[in-house]
Amino acid sequence: MLESIVSYGLAVGAVYALIGITYNVMYSASRVFSFTAGMLGMLGGVLGAVFISRMGMNAALALVLVLACGAVLGMVTEVVTVRPVLKSIEQHLYVLSTLAFALMVQQVTAIEFGTEAQPFPVLVPLEAGLPGQKFWLPLLACAVTILGLELLYRRTLIGRAFLAIAEDSYAARALGLPETRLRLACYAIAGVIGALAGFTGAQMLLAYFGNQAILNFYGFVPVALGGMGSNRGAVVGGLALGLFQQAAAVLFGGLHAAIAVFVVFIVVLLLRPEGLAGAMTGRRV
Amino acid sequence: MNGVAWLPPRLAGSMPWLALGLVALLLPLFDDAYIGVIAQRAFIYWILSAGLNLLVGFAGQIAIGWVPMLTLGAYTTAVLTAGTVTEPWNPYLALAAGGVVGAVFGVIVGLPALRLRTFYFAMTTLGFATITTQVALAWKSVTGGGVGTPGPVFPWPFEPGWGFYYLCFLLAALATWMTANIGASRYGRALIALRDAEVAAEASGIAKPRLLVLIFLLAGALGGVAGGLFASLQSYITPDAFTFEMSVLFFIAILIGGRGSILGPVLGTIILTALPEFAAPLVQWSTFLYAALLLLIVLLIPGGLAALLDFSNRRPLAKHREILPRPGLLREVLGRSPTAQHLELRGIALHFGGVRAIDGLDLDIKGGEVHGLIGPNGSGKTTTLNVISGYYRPTAGALSLDGAILATEAPPRRAAHRIARTFQTPRLIGDVSVLANVMIGGTLDGRASFVEALLTLPRHRQDEVALRRAARQALAAVGLEALAEVRADRLQHSELRFMEIARALMLHPAFLLLDEPAAGLSAEEIRRLGALIKAISREGVAVLLVEHHADLIFDICDRVTVLNLGKVLAAGTPAEIRSHREVVSAYLGA
Amino acid sequence: MVKRRQILSGSAVGIASLASGLASPALAANDPIKIGYLPALTGPSSSTGIGITRGTELAVAEINAGGGINGRPIELIIRDTQSDPTKAVNAVAELTQRQRASIIWGPLNSGEALAATPLIARNNVPMLHPCWVDELIDVKKYPMSFRNAPTNTQVGGGANHYVMDVLKLKKVAVISDTTGYGTASVNTYVPMLRAKGAEVVYSNHVDAANPDLRPELMRMQAAGAEVIMPWSVNAGFLSRILNTRGAMGWDVPVVGQTTLGSGQTRALLEKPEFWNKVYSNNFRNCCYVDGRLPASAADYVERLKRARIQFGDTLLWWVANGWDGMHIMAEALKVAGTRAQDVVAYWQQVSRRPGVYGTITWNAEQHNGFLDDEVVMCEVNSLRDGAFNLAPGY
Repeated sequence: MLESIVSYGLAVGAVYALIGITYNVMYSASRVFSFTAGMLGMLGGVLGAVFISRMGMNAALALVLVLACGAVLGMVTEVVTVRPVLKSIEQHLYVLSTLAFALMVQQVTAIEFGTEAQPFPVLVPLEAGLPGQKFWLPLLACAVTILGLELLYRRTLIGRAFLAIAEDSYAARALGLPETRLRLACYAIAGVIGALAGFTGAQMLLAYFGNQAILNFYGFVPVALGGMGSNRGAVVGGLALGLFQQAAAVLFGGLHAAIAVFVVFIVVLLLRPEGLAGAMTGRRV
Repeated sequence: MNGVAWLPPRLAGSMPWLALGLVALLLPLFDDAYIGVIAQRAFIYWILSAGLNLLVGFAGQIAIGWVPMLTLGAYTTAVLTAGTVTEPWNPYLALAAGGVVGAVFGVIVGLPALRLRTFYFAMTTLGFATITTQVALAWKSVTGGGVGTPGPVFPWPFEPGWGFYYLCFLLAALATWMTANIGASRYGRALIALRDAEVAAEASGIAKPRLLVLIFLLAGALGGVAGGLFASLQSYITPDAFTFEMSVLFFIAILIGGRGSILGPVLGTIILTALPEFAAPLVQWSTFLYAALLLLIVLLIPGGLAALLDFSNRRPLAKHREILPRPGLLREVLGRSPTAQHLELRGIALHFGGVRAIDGLDLDIKGGEVHGLIGPNGSGKTTTLNVISGYYRPTAGALSLDGAILATEAPPRRAAHRIARTFQTPRLIGDVSVLANVMIGGTLDGRASFVEALLTLPRHRQDEVALRRAARQALAAVGLEALAEVRADRLQHSELRFMEIARALMLHPAFLLLDEPAAGLSAEEIRRLGALIKAISREGVAVLLVEHHADLIFDICDRVTVLNLGKVLAAGTPAEIRSHREVVSAYLGA
Repeated sequence: MVKRRQILSGSAVGIASLASGLASPALAANDPIKIGYLPALTGPSSSTGIGITRGTELAVAEINAGGGINGRPIELIIRDTQSDPTKAVNAVAELTQRQRASIIWGPLNSGEALAATPLIARNNVPMLHPCWVDELIDVKKYPMSFRNAPTNTQVGGGANHYVMDVLKLKKVAVISDTTGYGTASVNTYVPMLRAKGAEVVYSNHVDAANPDLRPELMRMQAAGAEVIMPWSVNAGFLSRILNTRGAMGWDVPVVGQTTLGSGQTRALLEKPEFWNKVYSNNFRNCCYVDGRLPASAADYVERLKRARIQFGDTLLWWVANGWDGMHIMAEALKVAGTRAQDVVAYWQQVSRRPGVYGTITWNAEQHNGFLDDEVVMCEVNSLRDGAFNLAPGY
């Protein structure tokens, strides 16, 4: 029982954390929360299943292709749904444009791929008896993503430019940083991370068009709890959410877990709107 | 201008309503029950959408999952009527109970929206939509679980068939009337202001939480009532009748209809209900088409159908327009002379982390004077305005008004002290008229309560007449009366600066804070602006003017304070400042 | 034969309906007889509808080719309910009021049938449907509604009989999804099992979208379950139960809903052998005994092959049920005419009417007509041409 809570809880928590990071990367670049985060996660699983199970590709090639699709979709998101409405960010039109885009992609998926949840193939042929890869794959992906982002931010020039934009886009532009191109790059990276989350989590969550809404919500909870823009907060929040949800599911049943998560979400938002770890920032006037 | 919401019912504006009402009344003559069922469904969906429209279209809250209110209303009405839990209720009473339950949960779901960004609320509704269905499935003893429960059958005079049709029609008409009343009232304008220019709305005294709670109550109640009717129309309800897809479609129909409009979303809802019946092959693509339409509308015509139908704002405006303020009208606009006379800032400090934006600032702003505030970029000028109007809470120091210390409070409370302001970048509501923008400034003067506005009772009508007159006068005083009916986003930049002053004047300010009002104006316009500001101060108003145009400052100011690095570098009369050595070398650069 | 819904503009519909309202009701002798049909052909529960529709359309084609009903052809008016109760309610209004259908066939899914049945009853139109939910047949509330399929009680009784009397197992775990069908089934079967003397060590409803069923199965195992009885029409959910059972290496028989044996469930299994020791509901007339179908079903399969109707990708009993249902309606119309009371009166004296799918007996008090002992269990891994071997032990 405890083993099920820990293994499944951490694994699903890692997927939530990755989706949370996807939200964050897009948010840092543009101050935009995008509904495409869940969509990327959903597509990571669905496209993986299509490439491997239907088209017979090997897993590594499929992973590369899925991540490439994620990057392209990320960039399409930026160009089509974010850039045009960024100048009037106060009106929050990005919520509508990203929602519309995500719904369109979801509906095409439902029609072309089907509305049934499909199994996701086993990626790494291992002997039975070893811990299930559906549990450690998302955790591995989460660790790789965090390390990758840290290296990118701390060690590379472009990463520092990302940070500068996230800190203060006006100042960054004044320094002569190509803000638009950097933002596009951030969205591509977000696309890769979201797709990776979906791909590695799909053995557990299945390839299912309905995962979009689930991941949108459960991926956002860690962001709200950990403070927006904070990747560390998203990882801690995501893993905690996964464990909490699974513990509630095992002990009291799945329905109570859903209600418990929702209540915690609302209560935390009401008591600490800036999240448990974050600080409210943002210049309004 | 956006649809009919802002107009008092005139013949032109009411034509579509008369046509819709006539069709609805004559429909039973066809005696085609199939058309009847579709129409009942459209009425019911609209009752929910009418409330949702205030929330989404007016207040700009992203309520993507509002169907739970329908679910709650449906189950409440059905369960009470069936007598599963209590003695069987009269169906009409049960319907009212459905409305109450909807209202309560509307507020609960809305709580996070009172403090947080839009996206959080979107997520809350998303989460709530999921768990409502799950609870309906799990709570078998009450809801019947997945097997469901029979819907209520309304007795005479609204029995099933055309009787029920008229019940739905009456309630839909009532919902339309009430929400249109709110839309056209100062509450509706305040909602749109919160949506498009939240900062300006707060500076005008609009308290977001209070207003939104009222809207959540109304939208929840309408959703609950719609749910009760829905249960009766379905004859039997199971949780799978309340899909999340339905939620999204309601939401999108409103946006396609047009934000801030009533008629547009009505048409959107009718299309949403009827189209799938007549275009079955398209049904599986309907979500896609709706979403695509939403994307196009957001990117190309954020005003939706209503903006497309708004022909009056297609007429070109005169090319060379002049702004000719009439300071003579100011006395009437400002009315009684201001009560408060003296705003004192003592030792005000504001630190952001290690950055000292303001570092021990003393400032005196007195009635009848123009006080200039100058300094290099980053010296803390706008920050000072933000502290005075309540956007920032000072780290140290105190503000006092005529000797009484002002408690730390939010911008709407500062507006109640008659502290008005304009902004460095004009904060406007682009898709409503200039007049409506200016009327926002007078929100605090309205006396009619929300319920009075809902039912257009006499006091509300008097409010509207008075506000409209005052706003026209304010526009005349700043020289924009010819543009009163024009949509605000069609104005030139300089005109927007004057519009903001008109909006601030509507507050009958004792203190007027102007943040770079001359930026982007021509020399002639600056001269007129100067005269206007001077005239305003001569009516007893204390003006605090943040400006870079040294000429304007030295022309019209009675006193000038120079800031540098958050501290006062110099203070005195314009002549003293002009000869102050440090100022000249550090800033004036002469 | 089949009129699909046409794309009409709103105004055209209004005018058409006005015109038809004014037209004189006198019917020519060879005017078609309208039967309204409410399958779910799209949406999450559409596989049943697709299967039943094939049988229904074949029967209509055969009847019309043979001269129709006393010279009048059958016009089958199909309205896809899209697995959505609101669409079903709209369609009932159209079929009963505008189309004036003589009989309604369906809806085929319980969620839609629960909403549609009271409305059809209100319009006094005879109705035949194959849904299992017990509450759908109530001679007092819905006097014109008949069922040509077993009730949930009979279906569960068949499974319970197999578990307790054939497999001789006592400790039972019952699980369902949270749909109307699933919850109703568990609520009915658990007391039945207890009444038969079983020990129900686990019973729960689980959200079908829940990706991880391991905690549920572990609880069953910990409670000492000797058999799992799942009740759901969701192939994804059922396959996850079987996959989890396989992954846990738990050798426990699974006895339950027919969908356990559907092609969709098989497609979702991680390993083919996870389908072993799985027994699903079926119907005696449509099962192989010693590799052969009973005579009536064998004849029917020949018919299907001649008409080039696919059935290998669906289930034989669905196709058979649609075919039986249409013939039962046609017989009533032929003998009794199209008046509602006459159709009902005719159906009320149907006695031991043999069918490919099952034998039907109705009377004035009982509009459920299926025989208990025709509900059997089959071995799902024996699926061949849409039919299965009878489970071992019968």
